[in-house]
Amino acid sequence: MQSTSNYTRDRCVTGIHGLDEILRGGIPHGSTVLAAGTCGSGKTTLAMEFLVRGALAKFPESCAHFTATEPSIKLLENIRQYAFFDMKMVDSGKINVFDMDVLYSWLGLDKASFDLDDVHALIKAIINIVHEIGATRLVIDSVTTLCYKIKSEQLIRDFLFTLGKKLASLGCTTILISEITSATENAHWSSFGVEEAIADGIIVMGDVERMGHLLRFLQVVKMRGTSHSRAKHAIELTPLGVMLTPMLKWGAQHDKTNKVGG
Amino acid sequence: MARKIEFDPEDEEFFGKVGSFGVPKFDNEMHGGVPRGFMMVAFTDTGSGSELFAKQFTSPAEEAENTLYISTNEGQQEIIRIFQKYDWPLDISVRTIGEEYNSTVLERELLASRYRLEGFRLDDIRRLAQTRFVDDNTQDYLTEVTNEVMALGPYFRAVIDSLDFFLQREDPARVIAMVRMLQAHVQLNRGLLLVSVSTNGLDPTVKQELASIADMVLSFQVRTIGTDFETSMIVSKFRNAPENLKILVFRVTPEEGITPETVERIA
Repeated sequence: MQSTSNYTRDRCVTGIHGLDEILRGGIPHGSTVLAAGTCGSGKTTLAMEFLVRGALAKFPESCAHFTATEPSIKLLENIRQYAFFDMKMVDSGKINVFDMDVLYSWLGLDKASFDLDDVHALIKAIINIVHEIGATRLVIDSVTTLCYKIKSEQLIRDFLFTLGKKLASLGCTTILISEITSATENAHWSSFGVEEAIADGIIVMGDVERMGHLLRFLQVVKMRGTSHSRAKHAIELTPLGVMLTPMLKWGAQHDKTNKVGG
Repeated sequence: MARKIEFDPEDEEFFGKVGSFGVPKFDNEMHGGVPRGFMMVAFTDTGSGSELFAKQFTSPAEEAENTLYISTNEGQQEIIRIFQKYDWPLDISVRTIGEEYNSTVLERELLASRYRLEGFRLDDIRRLAQTRFVDDNTQDYLTEVTNEVMALGPYFRAVIDSLDFFLQREDPARVIAMVRMLQAHVQLNRGLLLVSVSTNGLDPTVKQELASIADMVLSFQVRTIGTDFETSMIVSKFRNAPENLKILVFRVTPEEGITPETVERIA
């Protein structure tokens, strides 16, 4: 038996430049990670690259993406500009992109709000899909849009907890994208206040003003099962993918808008 | 002000001031028939023969292409069978909303229920992953029916059997607004429109509203007398002709369909 001090959890190597270093090797396998970010902070790109890197790995992983914020057609059109993405991955079924609207329609859930039965039907359907295609990487973009249809906080909590638990039991590492309006240190990392408590990890993405420039940043706030850097990292969305570089502490005093330390 | 329709004098002569109910004895009781431009509402009990009366009402079909029968409960085949049985004209337009609803909406609901119960199979998932748009098969039957009747020209004859379908699925205020619109169209075009609605579970305010819009109100009732059923129609409103208000007991005969008993009973 491995001694406690030497034990390390299996990692889901994200393949994103700089992120695996921050996470000391990757996201602990089967974790549910909340990627909370302001609009335009690169959440969708980061999540898509996470799937692509999995599909392109030495031992290719099956991936699923549920899109609720924008139609899949638009998502795929936008992501095509990145060199890391190849439409063949979608056509061949390595990356399965599902429109939540279509899923709702197929399940008879095309309604304004969900009750308990609807929530259970949705969990069952997502788990069913993940299980059938053997997905080990999953993105839900965004959990905020999805949870808008669930009117009770208790139901949202149950939904996220049950979904996370079942996905973990299937060995599926999940990124739940959360839309937030502010990424300052006093902000909530989720829209409903319950996502952040249930998630195994929280990655915050936002903008910070530096010398008149609006820089994107990423910060791992929480990640159960691994040590990790909590420093802010600058994100560059390059044609080759997301690039992370540590932000220099210099300049923190210039950032009056967001009151962030560097 | 509503637009005015110029009526052809030949049409005026051909169609006359009143139209037949399709039930000669009932025409006699109503002093010739139903005035052109009347919208009738029939409040019906289950098993009172109103569905047969609704079909029979279309049987005079002065102009088959201007006669429309809309059923929300029965299928085409059943309607054709009845028309053939009584030798009523088969060239009128028939729309079966219930059948359409079953084949689109219910089929979809059935599939959704299968997915929810049994889950997706791998081929379902592949199809789901390749489906980028939601099939927009939501149909606004109320608007469709309204438009269909509104498209009929002068001296049309139409039946909507029954409003229950719409009242169960739509906001009753919307249904009433549609009936008002149809009544205006009937009046303007000197048409004849019969609308039936079941009394079971009908909101009294909706009933009151429908009765006030209608030019003529009929009630189809059924009751048991000993071991027999007695069906009757009650004319409780006949605009500007209160002398037509009547209670008529009727039978269904294989030759004539709905046939009022014109011999008055003693006691």
